[in-house]
Parts: sequence; structure tokens; C-alpha cells
Amino acid sequence: MRRPGKPVLLGLGLVALALAPVGQTDYILYILSSWLVFAIAAVGLNLTLGYAGQISLAQASFMGIGAYTVALLTLAGVPWLVAMPAGVLLCFLVGLALGFPALRVQGHFLAFVTLAFNTLFFLVARNEDWLTGGPYGLSGMPRPDFWLFNTDPNLPFYYFTLIVFVISSALMWGIVRSPWGRAFKALRENPIRAESLGLDTRRITLLAFAIGSAYAGLAGAMFSPLVQYIEPGSFSFVQSLRVLLMVVVGGSGFFFGPVLGAAVVILLPEFLRFTEGYYLMIYATMVILLMVFCPSGLIGLGQRLRDRFRPGRELRGDMKQGAQL
Amino acid sequence: MQRRTLLTAATFAAALAGTGLAAHAADVVKIPCVCEMSGAGAVSGTNYHDGAMLAVKEINAAGGILGRQIVMDTYDTQTDPQVSRALVQKAIDSGAYAIMGTVYSGSTIVNMMVAQRAGVPQFTGSEAPNITERNNPYIFRTSSGAQKGVPALTAYFKDQLHVTKIAVEWVNNDFGKGGHDVFRKEMKRVGIDVVADVPSEQGQVDFSSDVSKIKQSGAQAVFVYLNEEEDARFLKEAKKQGLKAPLVGEVTLTGQKVIDLAGGAAEGAFAHVGLATSAPVPSIEAFVAKFRKAYGRDTDHNGIKGYIGVYAIKYATEMIGKFDRKALASKMHGLTLDVKKYPGMLLTTSWDKTGELSRESFMTEVKNGKQVVIGTVPAN
Repeated sequence: MRRPGKPVLLGLGLVALALAPVGQTDYILYILSSWLVFAIAAVGLNLTLGYAGQISLAQASFMGIGAYTVALLTLAGVPWLVAMPAGVLLCFLVGLALGFPALRVQGHFLAFVTLAFNTLFFLVARNEDWLTGGPYGLSGMPRPDFWLFNTDPNLPFYYFTLIVFVISSALMWGIVRSPWGRAFKALRENPIRAESLGLDTRRITLLAFAIGSAYAGLAGAMFSPLVQYIEPGSFSFVQSLRVLLMVVVGGSGFFFGPVLGAAVVILLPEFLRFTEGYYLMIYATMVILLMVFCPSGLIGLGQRLRDRFRPGRELRGDMKQGAQL
Repeated sequence: MQRRTLLTAATFAAALAGTGLAAHAADVVKIPCVCEMSGAGAVSGTNYHDGAMLAVKEINAAGGILGRQIVMDTYDTQTDPQVSRALVQKAIDSGAYAIMGTVYSGSTIVNMMVAQRAGVPQFTGSEAPNITERNNPYIFRTSSGAQKGVPALTAYFKDQLHVTKIAVEWVNNDFGKGGHDVFRKEMKRVGIDVVADVPSEQGQVDFSSDVSKIKQSGAQAVFVYLNEEEDARFLKEAKKQGLKAPLVGEVTLTGQKVIDLAGGAAEGAFAHVGLATSAPVPSIEAFVAKFRKAYGRDTDHNGIKGYIGVYAIKYATEMIGKFDRKALASKMHGLTLDVKKYPGMLLTTSWDKTGELSRESFMTEVKNGKQVVIGTVPAN
């Protein structure tokens, strides 16, 4: 599977990302930054859903936990570098706890459990005024200042987001290629067989949830300083569906799927704006067509096209149907 | 598989690099409208936008502002605060002189920080109290905030209805909470006992337990602070359960949309409204007729907000005699535009140091399926 061209292409992609903001307006910088932030959350959900096969509709609530933790701490004067790990750790622990129902319920039932958790988070964020500011939310979070590198203007903030994105993606790359990564896939494909081979499916399931949630927490930790305003509505159930859409549209179970999916969900509507009143309709139609004709997402579509023109390179037989939801 | 992805990513990046800034022509002035053209706020946002557009057409036909034609681009926020923030940035990048919108408070509170940072005056249709409480010198309302509107009702409860026990039904979002908090404070000030305090969800369908709670509390009047659709559902349920206490609202309760949705159940409801399209004032009647002629439908108060916002920009700019954003913002503070001299304002309007607005307002009642103005409340 290893081809010499791959590192070169990866390098080119990074260069493209590094050069993308050159000469751009603040608006484009903001959109690009929010793409990378949501890509981090989607990469996390891809581990839970795409690799380990555990459906979660609570990704936005973990973004919320991360965002509120970082917002409260940075507003109290704690540096971002301390607040971020606190938020991520909290998400990891809560994700671990939420993983327990996943040991008992599967599929649609698990979806409902996580959905309930998301609603619970929304209600707590809205009703506990003393902590979260209630429906008014929290605002004015400072952007991190790393001595020589102040991220307050939009351009440095984009690079800051890019750096966090690259580091977290590299970590994820390591995770899915580690024995854990293989264990996650085994769990998705056939839990009974995985267990019979001596895998501790209980531990693996919990880990899949916890790591996926920690990534959402990291995205939340970036979201706070990016938007500089958070309110419960930003982390409602609908937002979880949006992250899920990113994973599914991009290609659930493919490493770069969620990154591409986040681009489709965040960037595509902005590109279609020139069609004015029609842009949301066009966007929705495109997503429906994609899901009907290629349930394995954009990357799956790319692979199918390649197989048609250059057959005989069967790489991922397991991904023909896309990761099962 | 990664190759495809990276190629796509590279293409995206290249496409992004291609989009640049449009040339800024000298003989026009850009006043973009960032508002809710889709999503939950589409009704309010579209009316706000169309009202503003009507003013733009009139002003352009009469020679523009200081000889420059107004260009109003539309940016749809999808009623999403995050999107609205990006779009205000986009509007500023395109060289906006001032910005119209947004209407939903949850969006305005996010995007006004961007306009403030860039030093661009912004004319919002939002009514949540916290918007003018943030020392933002660039935000201006086009209708009074709830902290002005709700106290106008206090005298009505105390002196006209003579109630001692009251209930409040409110929607638990930043709009509703703003009104609710002001209301509680006002009731405490005048010594009226709030016997039932019932929060509801945005988009709530069933109000039966809310109404029965209020009924059991023995309240002599009910203050209803909900969005239009929920207002209608609440009114229907109140009628069904035979709730006898007068239902009094702020802004929305007697709106035409609520009357249409609630059928006969809206009959007899009261509301204080900052701007009433039914007001027996010749300037407003003329505006409503113009709007109907231009768009073939009626507007709610949001249409008036958009309309007067654009006119306020025109009048204040002509006073300072140049296109200077900072000078415009400081001119607006403490400005009073008398309708006799500035007919585009429809009613005499003043702004204070925080961008809060003050003008005459109205008490309305639903009679025979129509909103009828039963009294005016002087500007405070």
C-alpha cells in the first residue's frame, strides 16, 4: 500500500494549506479556521464511528464541554495552554463515562443514548446561569498569546489552528495505525470474533468513545477563542448531526474523510453563495445525491472512480459499503 | 486514497486563493444587509431586508447620499450566529460604510463584536437588553430594547388593570430571558407579586401544562413573552382552558401573524409595541401602502425597522457631510431626528450614548381579527 508519491502529496497538501490564506480577506480566514476546527471534531467522531463502529450523536456536546471549560478558565485569566488540556481531559473522562452505555446498547439505541446526553448538556448549559451564563452565553474570550506569536489577528489565528490541526491529525494517524487502531476496526467488523481473538472489547469501546470525545473537546477549545462567544445553541443536537454529516459525507472510516467532509459542510455553502436564494437548495441536493449514489462518501466515490479506470488495485475490501452506521 | 483527498484539498486551497477583493468604486456607498433570509428567523429577516431595500430604492431615486448611490448586498445568515459572524466580516471586507442587521439577538450579540473591532456602524433589529449594555460604540438599535419596552407595560398593569398577582410565560432563549429578567425587576419595583413564572422552549408545541399552571396560580393578568408561533399556540390553549385573566404581551402578541395563526383565540389580547404597522399615524400608513405596492404583501414591524435604519444612516451622514464611519457613530449618539424635518424616520426618534433608541410607542389590542392601536406611550 505504501507508494513513494504519498509523502510528497501529503507535503503538497500541507503547503497548500499553509499558502491558502495568503492575500485573503478576514472573512475567508475565518471560514478556513472554522473548517479546521470542525475537521478536528469530525476526525474524532471518525474514530468512534468510522473505525470503532460506535454511533455517537453527542459530538457537539463534547465540543461544548471543551469550549465552556476553556472559556471559563481563560476568562478567569488562566492561559490557553493550561485551559486546553483541562478541557480535553474533562471530555476524555466524560466520554469514558458515556462509553459505558455503549457496552450494553448498540446501533440505534446507542444513538438515542448519546442524543439524550447531548440534550442534557444543552439544558445544563442553558439553565445553570451561574456557571455558563445561561441563554446569554459567554463572550469576550481572549485569543491565546504565545509571547512572540500573538494569535489575536485572524491570520496568526489561522496558522495556530493549522498547527493544532496538523498535530492532532498526526496523533490520530498514529492511533489508527497502532494495535489499538486495528483493535477498533476489529470491533467494528465483528465484535464477537474480536473478543474470541482475545481483545478486551470493553476497554476498546470505552477508549473509542473517550478519544473521540477528547478530540471534540480540543475542537471546542479552539472554537472558544475563534468565535469569542459561546451559547448553548452552538452545541445543540443539530450541531452533532452536522459533525456526523461531515464524517459520513467525507467517507466514514477513511482517514482523510472527515477533513474533506468538513470542507463540504463548512466551505461548500460559502462557495455556492453566488447562486443567492438557491445555494442551500443546491447544497442539499448535492448531499442527497452523494448519499444515494455513494454511501461510502466522497473518498469512497474517488476510489470507485479509480477502480473503474485502473482496476485490480483492491485496497480496502472492508470499505465497500462504507462503515456501517 | 490519500492522494485523492490531498488533490481535492489542494484544489480547494487553489480555488480559495483565486477569490479576491472586488474593486471599490468611488461613486457608490456600500450598506450591506446581513440578515436572516432562511432558517427560523426568515420571516423577521426578510421583512427587515425588504424594508431596508425599499428605503435604498427611494434614496437612490432621489439622488443617493451626498450624491453617491447606495449599493445594498444581501448576506443570508441562515439564522446561525456563527455564520452571521463570518458574514459581517465578509461585509466589512467588501468595504461596508455601515451594516444593516442582524435581527435575531443571538446573532447580533456575536457579530457586533466584529463590526466594533473594524469600526463599522451597525444598525440592528434586535431587542435583547444586553446588546446595548456592552459599551459598543458602533451598535445602534432600530427599535427599543426590552428594557425600555417592558417598563412601559408596568404602568398599564398597575394603574389600568390594578393587578396584585401576575403570571409570566416566557421563551427560554436570550430574547425571552432578557424580557423576563426586566419584567421580574419591574414587578418587584412596583410591588406586584409574580405568582407563576413559566419558562417554555423555543418551538414548543404543547402549552397545556403551562396554561394550567398559570390558571391554578390565581394570577389576575398574564405577561406573555414568546415568539410569534408560540404566541399563537399559547393563545389557543388559553382559550381552550378558559383562562380569564387578560393576556398582555410585548411586541409580538398582537402581530398579524399571531392573529392569523391563532384564529379567534387572539381576540382581546393586549400588547405594547414599539412600532405598529396598524398605528393611526399618516407616515406609517403611507409606508405600509408603499411596502404593499412594492412587494405585494404586508410587513410586520421589522419592515419599518429596516426602512428607518437606512434613513437614519442617510440623515446622519448628511449632517456630518462626509463618509466617515467613526464620525457617523459619534453623530448618532445623542441624536434626535424629528419626523417633521426627516420624514424617512416615520416617527421622531432619538438614540442615547449606548445606541439605545427611544420614540413614541403604542398599546394595541386585537379586535375583530385586527391589531388596533388603543393608546400611545410617550417616548422615554
